[in-house]
Amino acid sequence: MRAPLLVALWALLAFEAIGGLVIFFARLAAGTLPGEAAHVYAGIALTFAYAAYQWGHWNRVAPFRARLDYALGLIAAVALALTQLSGFALAWPWWLARGTATPAAYGSLLSGAHNVMSMFVLTFVGAHLGAVLQRDARTRRGAIL
Amino acid sequence: MHIPAFSLFSAISELFVTAGVLFVVRRNWTRRTFPFALFIGVALFEGLINVMYMAKRAADASGTAVATEAAAHALSAVMKIGFAVHGLLSLLAYLVFVVLGVFAHQEQQQDPPRWFFRERPALTWTFLALWVISIGSGEVLFALRYLG
Repeated sequence: MRAPLLVALWALLAFEAIGGLVIFFARLAAGTLPGEAAHVYAGIALTFAYAAYQWGHWNRVAPFRARLDYALGLIAAVALALTQLSGFALAWPWWLARGTATPAAYGSLLSGAHNVMSMFVLTFVGAHLGAVLQRDARTRRGAIL
Repeated sequence: MHIPAFSLFSAISELFVTAGVLFVVRRNWTRRTFPFALFIGVALFEGLINVMYMAKRAADASGTAVATEAAAHALSAVMKIGFAVHGLLSLLAYLVFVVLGVFAHQEQQQDPPRWFFRERPALTWTFLALWVISIGSGEVLFALRYLG
Protein backbone atom coordinates (compact mmCIF):
# COMPACT_ATOMS: atom_id res chain seq x y z
CA MET A 1 0.00 0.00 0.00
CA ARG A 2 1.61 3.27 -1.13
CA ALA A 3 -0.30 5.76 1.02
CA PRO A 4 -1.83 4.15 4.12
CA LEU A 5 -2.56 7.52 5.75
CA LEU A 6 -4.53 8.68 2.71
CA VAL A 7 -6.46 5.39 2.60
CA ALA A 8 -7.25 5.71 6.31
CA LEU A 9 -8.37 9.30 5.78
CA TRP A 10 -10.69 8.36 2.91
CA ALA A 11 -12.10 5.42 4.87
CA LEU A 12 -12.81 7.60 7.93
CA LEU A 13 -14.25 10.39 5.79
CA ALA A 14 -16.56 7.92 4.01
CA PHE A 15 -17.61 6.38 7.34
CA GLU A 16 -18.35 9.80 8.82
CA ALA A 17 -20.18 11.01 5.71
CA ILE A 18 -22.43 7.94 5.45
CA GLY A 19 -22.94 7.80 9.22
CA GLY A 20 -23.73 11.50 9.33
CA LEU A 21 -26.30 11.20 6.55
CA VAL A 22 -27.93 8.23 8.32
CA ILE A 23 -28.10 10.21 11.56
CA PHE A 24 -29.45 13.27 9.71
CA PHE A 25 -32.21 11.24 8.07
CA ALA A 26 -33.12 9.11 11.10
CA ARG A 27 -33.14 12.11 13.44
CA LEU A 28 -35.60 13.89 11.20
CA ALA A 29 -37.78 10.97 10.16
CA ALA A 30 -37.83 8.91 13.35
CA GLY A 31 -36.24 11.01 16.09
CA THR A 32 -33.46 8.45 16.60
CA LEU A 33 -29.67 8.77 16.32
CA PRO A 34 -28.30 5.41 15.13
CA GLY A 35 -24.56 4.94 15.43
CA GLU A 36 -24.07 8.16 17.38
CA ALA A 37 -21.18 6.83 19.50
CA ALA A 38 -19.38 5.38 16.48
CA HIS A 39 -19.80 8.73 14.70
CA VAL A 40 -18.13 10.54 17.61
CA TYR A 41 -15.23 8.09 18.01
CA ALA A 42 -14.57 7.93 14.25
CA GLY A 43 -14.71 11.74 14.21
CA ILE A 44 -11.92 11.87 16.78
CA ALA A 45 -9.85 9.43 14.70
CA LEU A 46 -10.60 11.50 11.58
CA THR A 47 -9.28 14.64 13.28
CA PHE A 48 -5.91 13.04 13.98
CA ALA A 49 -5.67 11.35 10.57
CA TYR A 50 -6.56 14.60 8.79
CA ALA A 51 -4.10 16.70 10.82
CA ALA A 52 -1.28 14.28 9.98
CA TYR A 53 -2.26 14.14 6.30
CA GLN A 54 -2.69 17.92 5.95
CA TRP A 55 0.73 18.54 7.47
CA GLY A 56 2.43 16.41 4.82
CA HIS A 57 0.17 17.65 2.04
CA TRP A 58 0.91 21.30 2.80
CA ASN A 59 4.66 20.66 2.91
CA ARG A 60 4.31 19.15 -0.56
CA VAL A 61 2.15 21.86 -2.21
CA ALA A 62 3.20 25.08 -0.36
CA PRO A 63 3.24 27.99 -1.00
CA PHE A 64 -0.37 28.95 -1.69
CA ARG A 65 -1.00 29.86 -5.33
CA ALA A 66 -3.83 31.94 -6.80
CA ARG A 67 -5.42 28.97 -8.58
CA LEU A 68 -8.84 27.39 -8.44
CA ASP A 69 -7.61 24.01 -7.15
CA TYR A 70 -5.77 25.76 -4.29
CA ALA A 71 -8.79 27.90 -3.42
CA LEU A 72 -11.06 24.84 -3.39
CA GLY A 73 -8.57 22.96 -1.22
CA LEU A 74 -8.42 25.87 1.23
CA ILE A 75 -12.22 26.01 1.48
CA ALA A 76 -12.30 22.23 2.04
CA ALA A 77 -9.64 22.50 4.76
CA VAL A 78 -11.44 25.33 6.58
CA ALA A 79 -14.78 23.50 6.28
CA LEU A 80 -13.27 20.30 7.67
CA ALA A 81 -11.71 22.18 10.60
CA LEU A 82 -15.06 23.85 11.39
CA THR A 83 -16.89 20.52 11.03
CA GLN A 84 -14.56 18.90 13.53
CA LEU A 85 -14.84 21.83 15.95
CA SER A 86 -18.65 21.88 15.78
CA GLY A 87 -18.58 18.08 16.08
CA PHE A 88 -16.59 18.29 19.29
CA ALA A 89 -19.01 20.92 20.61
CA LEU A 90 -21.90 18.55 19.82
CA ALA A 91 -20.04 15.61 21.39
CA TRP A 92 -19.85 17.38 24.75
CA PRO A 93 -23.58 17.10 25.62
CA TRP A 94 -23.49 13.56 24.24
CA TRP A 95 -20.63 12.73 26.60
CA LEU A 96 -22.46 14.24 29.59
CA ALA A 97 -25.69 12.39 28.76
CA ARG A 98 -24.14 8.98 28.07
CA GLY A 99 -25.40 6.24 30.37
CA THR A 100 -28.34 8.36 31.55
CA ALA A 101 -31.98 8.12 30.53
CA THR A 102 -32.01 11.74 29.38
CA PRO A 103 -31.16 12.27 25.70
CA ALA A 104 -28.39 14.75 24.89
CA ALA A 105 -29.69 18.29 24.30
CA TYR A 106 -28.14 19.49 21.06
CA GLY A 107 -28.42 23.14 20.10
CA SER A 108 -30.28 23.36 16.80
CA LEU A 109 -28.04 26.12 15.42
CA LEU A 110 -24.87 24.20 16.26
CA SER A 111 -26.35 21.04 14.82
CA GLY A 112 -27.34 22.92 11.65
CA ALA A 113 -23.86 24.45 11.36
CA HIS A 114 -22.30 20.99 11.72
CA ASN A 115 -24.55 19.65 8.95
CA VAL A 116 -23.77 22.55 6.62
CA MET A 117 -20.02 22.36 7.24
CA SER A 118 -20.10 18.61 6.62
CA MET A 119 -21.81 19.25 3.30
CA PHE A 120 -19.17 21.87 2.48
CA VAL A 121 -16.46 19.30 3.23
CA LEU A 122 -17.92 16.72 0.84
CA THR A 123 -18.59 19.34 -1.82
CA PHE A 124 -15.23 21.08 -1.75
CA VAL A 125 -13.11 17.96 -1.21
CA GLY A 126 -14.86 16.56 -4.30
CA ALA A 127 -14.37 19.79 -6.25
CA HIS A 128 -10.71 20.10 -5.14
CA LEU A 129 -9.96 16.51 -6.12
CA GLY A 130 -11.82 16.91 -9.42
CA ALA A 131 -9.94 20.11 -10.26
CA VAL A 132 -6.56 18.53 -9.50
CA LEU A 133 -7.30 15.36 -11.48
CA GLN A 134 -8.61 17.40 -14.42
CA ARG A 135 -5.54 19.65 -14.35
CA ASP A 136 -3.21 16.63 -14.25
CA ALA A 137 -5.07 14.98 -17.16
CA ARG A 138 -4.72 18.18 -19.18
CA THR A 139 -0.99 18.34 -18.40
CA ARG A 140 -0.58 14.72 -19.52
CA ARG A 141 -2.48 15.39 -22.77
CA GLY A 142 -0.27 18.44 -23.38
CA ALA A 143 2.87 16.37 -22.82
CA ILE A 144 1.71 13.71 -25.31
CA LEU A 145 0.84 16.30 -27.97
CA MET B 1 -50.74 30.17 9.60
CA HIS B 2 -47.91 32.58 10.39
CA ILE B 3 -45.00 32.20 7.97
CA PRO B 4 -41.56 32.82 9.55
CA ALA B 5 -39.65 35.53 7.69
CA PHE B 6 -36.60 33.29 7.15
CA SER B 7 -38.83 30.56 5.64
CA LEU B 8 -40.40 33.01 3.22
CA PHE B 9 -37.02 34.49 2.32
CA SER B 10 -35.58 31.05 1.69
CA ALA B 11 -38.52 29.88 -0.43
CA ILE B 12 -38.27 32.95 -2.66
CA SER B 13 -34.48 33.09 -2.84
CA GLU B 14 -34.36 29.43 -3.92
CA LEU B 15 -36.09 30.51 -7.13
CA PHE B 16 -33.43 33.16 -7.76
CA VAL B 17 -30.69 30.62 -7.01
CA THR B 18 -32.31 28.27 -9.51
CA ALA B 19 -32.31 31.06 -12.09
CA GLY B 20 -28.58 31.53 -11.40
CA VAL B 21 -27.88 27.81 -11.83
CA LEU B 22 -29.81 27.71 -15.11
CA PHE B 23 -27.97 30.82 -16.32
CA VAL B 24 -24.56 29.26 -15.57
CA VAL B 25 -25.48 26.07 -17.44
CA ARG B 26 -27.04 27.95 -20.34
CA ARG B 27 -23.98 30.18 -20.83
CA ASN B 28 -21.81 27.10 -21.10
CA TRP B 29 -24.36 25.31 -23.28
CA THR B 30 -24.44 28.23 -25.74
CA ARG B 31 -20.60 28.42 -25.78
CA ARG B 32 -20.28 31.74 -24.05
CA THR B 33 -17.92 32.90 -21.29
CA PHE B 34 -18.34 31.07 -18.00
CA PRO B 35 -19.88 33.45 -15.42
CA PHE B 36 -17.42 32.54 -12.68
CA ALA B 37 -18.36 35.36 -10.28
CA LEU B 38 -22.03 34.41 -10.53
CA PHE B 39 -21.18 30.73 -10.05
CA ILE B 40 -19.20 31.47 -6.86
CA GLY B 41 -21.88 33.86 -5.64
CA VAL B 42 -24.66 31.33 -6.17
CA ALA B 43 -22.61 28.52 -4.61
CA LEU B 44 -21.76 30.53 -1.49
CA PHE B 45 -25.25 31.99 -1.12
CA GLU B 46 -26.88 28.59 -1.50
CA GLY B 47 -24.43 27.05 0.93
CA LEU B 48 -24.33 29.69 3.61
CA ILE B 49 -27.89 30.94 3.59
CA ASN B 50 -30.27 28.40 2.20
CA VAL B 51 -28.63 25.16 3.21
CA MET B 52 -27.99 26.67 6.64
CA TYR B 53 -31.69 27.41 6.82
CA MET B 54 -32.56 23.91 5.67
CA ALA B 55 -30.22 22.33 8.21
CA LYS B 56 -31.57 24.54 11.00
CA ARG B 57 -35.14 23.65 10.08
CA ALA B 58 -34.16 20.01 9.91
CA ALA B 59 -32.61 20.19 13.37
CA ASP B 60 -35.72 21.95 14.69
CA ALA B 61 -38.06 19.46 13.08
CA SER B 62 -36.19 16.47 14.50
CA GLY B 63 -37.65 17.17 17.92
CA THR B 64 -34.37 16.61 19.81
CA ALA B 65 -33.57 20.29 20.02
CA VAL B 66 -34.62 21.51 23.42
CA ALA B 67 -36.25 24.81 22.53
CA THR B 68 -38.18 23.56 19.53
CA GLU B 69 -39.93 20.47 20.79
CA ALA B 70 -43.35 22.03 20.39
CA ALA B 71 -42.68 22.82 16.74
CA ALA B 72 -41.52 19.27 16.12
CA HIS B 73 -44.76 17.80 17.45
CA ALA B 74 -46.71 19.91 14.97
CA LEU B 75 -45.19 18.00 12.03
CA SER B 76 -46.68 14.76 10.79
CA ALA B 77 -44.49 11.71 10.18
CA VAL B 78 -44.93 12.09 6.43
CA MET B 79 -43.81 15.71 6.59
CA LYS B 80 -40.75 14.72 8.63
CA ILE B 81 -39.78 12.12 6.04
CA GLY B 82 -40.43 14.70 3.33
CA PHE B 83 -38.09 17.15 5.08
CA ALA B 84 -35.42 14.46 5.42
CA VAL B 85 -35.63 13.44 1.75
CA HIS B 86 -35.62 17.06 0.63
CA GLY B 87 -32.59 17.73 2.85
CA LEU B 88 -30.60 14.85 1.36
CA LEU B 89 -31.61 15.82 -2.18
CA SER B 90 -30.56 19.42 -1.57
CA LEU B 91 -27.16 18.35 -0.29
CA LEU B 92 -26.64 16.09 -3.30
CA ALA B 93 -27.80 18.69 -5.83
CA TYR B 94 -25.55 21.34 -4.28
CA LEU B 95 -22.52 19.05 -4.30
CA VAL B 96 -23.07 18.10 -7.94
CA PHE B 97 -23.58 21.75 -8.96
CA VAL B 98 -20.29 22.89 -7.44
CA VAL B 99 -18.25 19.98 -8.80
CA LEU B 100 -19.70 20.24 -12.32
CA GLY B 101 -19.32 24.04 -12.27
CA VAL B 102 -15.64 23.68 -11.41
CA PHE B 103 -15.19 21.20 -14.28
CA ALA B 104 -17.01 23.52 -16.71
CA HIS B 105 -14.91 26.51 -15.64
CA GLN B 106 -11.64 24.63 -16.02
CA GLU B 107 -12.56 23.16 -19.40
CA GLN B 108 -13.42 26.61 -20.75
CA GLN B 109 -9.95 27.83 -19.83
CA GLN B 110 -8.31 25.35 -22.16
CA ASP B 111 -7.07 26.40 -25.57
CA PRO B 112 -9.22 25.71 -27.52
CA PRO B 113 -11.99 25.94 -24.92
CA ARG B 114 -14.25 22.96 -24.27
CA TRP B 115 -17.89 23.18 -23.26
CA PHE B 116 -18.47 20.79 -20.40
CA PHE B 117 -22.27 20.87 -20.20
CA ARG B 118 -22.75 21.04 -23.97
CA GLU B 119 -20.53 18.00 -24.53
CA ARG B 120 -22.32 15.96 -21.85
CA PRO B 121 -26.07 16.42 -22.47
CA ALA B 122 -27.13 13.30 -20.52
CA LEU B 123 -25.19 14.39 -17.45
CA THR B 124 -26.41 17.97 -17.80
CA TRP B 125 -30.08 17.04 -18.09
CA THR B 126 -29.80 14.56 -15.22
CA PHE B 127 -28.26 17.26 -13.04
CA LEU B 128 -30.94 19.79 -14.01
CA ALA B 129 -33.68 17.25 -13.27
CA LEU B 130 -32.11 16.56 -9.87
CA TRP B 131 -31.89 20.28 -9.17
CA VAL B 132 -35.50 20.96 -10.15
CA ILE B 133 -36.75 18.03 -8.05
CA SER B 134 -34.69 19.26 -5.11
CA ILE B 135 -35.98 22.84 -5.34
CA GLY B 136 -39.49 21.75 -6.28
CA SER B 137 -39.75 19.45 -3.26
CA GLY B 138 -38.74 22.36 -1.03
CA GLU B 139 -41.39 24.62 -2.50
CA VAL B 140 -44.03 21.87 -2.15
CA LEU B 141 -43.08 21.35 1.50
CA PHE B 142 -43.27 25.10 2.07
CA ALA B 143 -46.74 25.22 0.51
CA LEU B 144 -47.98 22.21 2.49
CA ARG B 145 -46.58 23.55 5.75
CA TYR B 146 -47.68 27.16 5.53
CA LEU B 147 -50.26 27.52 2.78
CA GLY B 148 -52.17 24.24 3.01
